[in-house]
Amino acid sequence: MPLRASMTKEIARRALLVAALAALAFQTAAGQSNESKAGAGTKPMAAGAASAAPVSNASDATKTLKTAAEAIGLARWSGVGGQRLPEVDVVNTIEIWGSGTTYSPGPSSKSGDPWTAFKTDYHVALGYNPPAMRVEMTRTSSAAPAGGAAPLHTIEVVRDNYAWDESEIGAGLVPGKGTATPAVAAANYRFLQLWILPYGVLKAALAAGDKTKVSTENGATVITFPLSGQLAGVTVKATLDAHNEIAKVETRTDNPALSDLITETEYSAYADHGEIATDVLSPGHIVRKQGGHAVLDIQIKTLDANNPYLVFPVPENVKKAAAR
Amino acid sequence: MAPHLRLNRGIVLAALLCLLPAALFAQNNGGPRMDHENTLPPTPTGPTPMTPDGHPDLTGLWNGLADNLLGVPNQMHNVGIEVGPDSTRDIHSGVQIATWPLQNRQRQNNEQNERAATLLRRMGSNRPIYKPQYWQRVKDFDANSNEEDPSNNCMPAGVPRMGVPSYIAQTPTYLVFVYPGQGGLIATATSYRMIPTDGRKHTNIEDLDGTWNGEAIGHWEGDTMVVDTIGFNSTSWFDQLGGYFHSENMHVIERFHRDGNTLTWTATVEDPDVLLEPWTTTPRVALLNPDPKAVLPESLPCSERDFAHVVTKEHH
Repeated sequence: MPLRASMTKEIARRALLVAALAALAFQTAAGQSNESKAGAGTKPMAAGAASAAPVSNASDATKTLKTAAEAIGLARWSGVGGQRLPEVDVVNTIEIWGSGTTYSPGPSSKSGDPWTAFKTDYHVALGYNPPAMRVEMTRTSSAAPAGGAAPLHTIEVVRDNYAWDESEIGAGLVPGKGTATPAVAAANYRFLQLWILPYGVLKAALAAGDKTKVSTENGATVITFPLSGQLAGVTVKATLDAHNEIAKVETRTDNPALSDLITETEYSAYADHGEIATDVLSPGHIVRKQGGHAVLDIQIKTLDANNPYLVFPVPENVKKAAAR
Repeated sequence: MAPHLRLNRGIVLAALLCLLPAALFAQNNGGPRMDHENTLPPTPTGPTPMTPDGHPDLTGLWNGLADNLLGVPNQMHNVGIEVGPDSTRDIHSGVQIATWPLQNRQRQNNEQNERAATLLRRMGSNRPIYKPQYWQRVKDFDANSNEEDPSNNCMPAGVPRMGVPSYIAQTPTYLVFVYPGQGGLIATATSYRMIPTDGRKHTNIEDLDGTWNGEAIGHWEGDTMVVDTIGFNSTSWFDQLGGYFHSENMHVIERFHRDGNTLTWTATVEDPDVLLEPWTTTPRVALLNPDPKAVLPESLPCSERDFAHVVTKEHH
């Protein structure tokens, strides 16, 4: 490289460094100003803090939920011009790819077990605004001989109180492109899947307001709250781990008509599983039981939390079926 | 990539992102300053001036700047996220979004700030509904926008992505819109539009060569100026974020309504080739620069040099 060019680049590099430092000083000063205005010094609540009181007040619940929301990157603010804005819940749409095992009632021909295990490819698209979820699974019976039964491919969708099955993604929206089969009876169970994910738990707990309680059990922080709307009658109990991440979610109900909504889900191995980093943490391993039986055991490969383009328009025939 | 190149790029990015808003305010000749404590639209004040022919006069410097340059608050406003001091609302769906007051939060480095900014400006619910066969294409464009965005490399943003014009001149038979080049989310060239309002009709679309800005004609519906545009190329994306491509048959209807010192803009995109239904942007409200001597600063020549050094798919 010619000396003159080299020197010019070095000068330019130093100028940029000075500019960057000046910019950072500007930003830092603004941040300090904001903090002094708002007041500082409160320690984040530690999960599992021993407490004699079994149930907290509303303020404790608020702090706990904030800490949990920050722990998984749901509560966020940005210094890119937004340093004076409050923190907000940034999670709307998420797409998940994973694989593992799912279980369905019915005897396994191989083991004689009353439930059949399926090797499962798992793909989920979901959104909270509007609340909707599309679960695509390709399942192969673990009991089937190699080259035996064809994999079972299903696409189950829910949006609000609409539920339907798609023959292909987006079926039923454009003439000639697949069929959408209404599945009204499945709406509540599918909807529940959305709200017992860690993000859904925190959103629903925040929405429950004063009805959300915080307690400690065996040294762990526990959040308890009722669901509402079409899931009214179901209570959620979420247990935090030492990192304030949601480790376990249990749903309970006294209503026999909602007994299929009694579930127990364990979440572990939290990390940013996105190809595009977002600092939104998600569980890497999900294990769910229903009525005491394992129904799902999935390892997450990738999770796109960057609010990707995911939409859930309701096909006309599904709307008509729900109106009947 | 050599470490020194990464360092230089990081320095450039930090300098641009942090200094840009301050620099632009300085250029604003004492004009109105966006209130960064919320993303609520400005409240109109003062009378709406009328032209001799009885229409609202849209002439003026609106924000004085391209409307995506002011960082996260303006970008959140543009996608319909209204952040107040204690509450946040998605104005498209009406959904309340959890909000925690500004206190006791941890410091963040630039990388954390950038990632959070990306999420904040993408959290709105107002999304165009494409035909299902295009869903994956939109996602792919969006995920790879650092490489795929047609407006990078100093190309025009196009209509309606360019948003609210920074300057409007109004005559009885023409509107002239000026859009300074942007260096914020995307690096685009300075652009202008000359819009006849003399009652003429569109050219037959078969006779139009598709362009970034298309062929626009304007007319008044009451006190609202309606700008109707056809004749696009299929190169541009129609919103700032999201990989929202379109066909040459896109039809855009923009509405400009002045109320005192504010100008509310919306754009409706019709494209039955790719969309299931028309899509309308969330209303954006621009504020008039009250300084009668204010002028638009000259945009620096757009010269994209970071593009070759992009090493991740993270958005900026």
